[in-house]
Amino acid sequence: MITGLFLLALVAIATNACTTTNSLADTKSGAQLWGENCLRCHNSPSPETFSDAEWDVAVMHMQVRANLTTTEATKIADFLKTAN
Amino acid sequence: MKYQLNIFTLALALFICNVALAQDDQNTQQGYSLTDQQSAAIDYLKPGKSRFLLRGYAHSGLEMTSEETSFVGGAFNPLFVFRQSDRLLFEGELEIELEGGETHLGLEYANMSYLLSDAVTVRAGKFLLPFGTYVPNLHPAWINKFPTNPLGAGHDGILPSADIGIELRGASYLGNIKTNYSIYAVNGPQLNDGSVEAEEGGVLHYDIAPDNNKGKSFGGRIGFFPMNNSALEVGISGLYGKVGNKEGDYEDIAAFLYAFDMSYVQRLSSLRSVVDIKAQYAAANVDEAAFPEEDDPSELHSFDNSSSTWFAQLSIRPAFVSSKLVQNLELATRYSSIETPEGAPWEANQQQWEVGLNYWFDWRTLVKVSYRTVSGEAGGHSENEEGGSEDSFFIHWAIGF
Ligand code: HEC
Repeated sequence: MITGLFLLALVAIATNACTTTNSLADTKSGAQLWGENCLRCHNSPSPETFSDAEWDVAVMHMQVRANLTTTEATKIADFLKTAN
Repeated sequence: MKYQLNIFTLALALFICNVALAQDDQNTQQGYSLTDQQSAAIDYLKPGKSRFLLRGYAHSGLEMTSEETSFVGGAFNPLFVFRQSDRLLFEGELEIELEGGETHLGLEYANMSYLLSDAVTVRAGKFLLPFGTYVPNLHPAWINKFPTNPLGAGHDGILPSADIGIELRGASYLGNIKTNYSIYAVNGPQLNDGSVEAEEGGVLHYDIAPDNNKGKSFGGRIGFFPMNNSALEVGISGLYGKVGNKEGDYEDIAAFLYAFDMSYVQRLSSLRSVVDIKAQYAAANVDEAAFPEEDDPSELHSFDNSSSTWFAQLSIRPAFVSSKLVQNLELATRYSSIETPEGAPWEANQQQWEVGLNYWFDWRTLVKVSYRTVSGEAGGHSENEEGGSEDSFFIHWAIGF
């Protein structure tokens, strides 16, 4: 039962992944996305933590680890780089 | 001295480079241009697309049980992250630990990710399995609110940790609901058939390469964010594969593991605090098979090979009060439990409570003062074999850098 449910959900998401439009993320600013996402697993680092070049790497790392879309990650990185 | 000189030259070159870039237009307009040497310095310092971070974490501490008081830990995990291009990322982490008087060096993970599109990333190599939330997201010492793992997780637990394979992962939106997903193929768990260690017959071992059979294990996780501000995430994970050795009695034995996890992190202005709740339930079901008896390995015995484990944790940090001291304090509590098969030599049924007070020096450096009580009967290969309850007190520090 659980396997079936799981596979069904997986197929739904996989199909969705290829056709999605980021309606909700489009309406959010980089600052808001940072505020909502970067404290979900650990304390949120403040923008002053890193230089621009370091943020480029750290945010890309978190894009993969925390499953962010490229749109979200780019907005967050841009915010961190202007606020540091 | 030479070192200082080099830094000085670099700083000077950077300064020249900045000034030169800013004034480039002006210079040519005013009729003088950069010397060859200056242009060379600028070219030399032009940032490329490839960038990297050398980070990681370390921890150690003091542990007091009824039997001994000892400084423990001394673990150091260097992390290397290379951004080779806008689409290509490498992450690699080592784990250097003191264990029984020896230094143990492990490869936590080493993998390459390629961002295929806005919503799809392909990752290959050794990675932390997106099975539940504890192992992939919460176990690093500066993220874990406690000095120890919840029951079931960690190196001797029943949860998978890392494996080698390939994965597709990413995030997308179903209307206004954000979702994330991961699907992967890895070598998968391996079944201990008890032929060498009868006391471990039926146990699943993770993180072993090369594989013991041709079949790969397949798994995945899906997460949903039912609230618009992403405060709540619920996830379901599964992992299925053949686990027995090729061409043996256990060739057709398969295992199915699944997990449910949730995370809720919210700034509560009424409490002037951040509240963080995490929970996970995981189960491992292995097809029934007969394994050698512990006392007489020529005899076989079988049992229903199902295990489960869960934990729930709550922490609260008054981050928005005016007192700097109080802002940095965090109260945390966690309950966890594990049940392994009845009748197996490694049968266990344990419960663990932890309460802790943490002090944060910065966003990822903290001291944890915590108290833990474990009760119930532990499996054959664990410390608390006889059962009963055991209390411990810890003072640990952890730093992420
Ligand atoms: C899904 C959980 C999760 C979320 C959400 C998350 N992180 Fe992380 N983060 C981690 C984990 C786990 C590590 C530790 C990596 C390791 O050592 O394996 C980490 C490490 C880091 C580090 C240390 C350097 C590095 O690259 O590992 C930085 C900086 C960081 N996170 C920033 C962020 C930012 C900024 C955000 C918001 C975009 C964010 N994190 C969101 C889980 C998360």
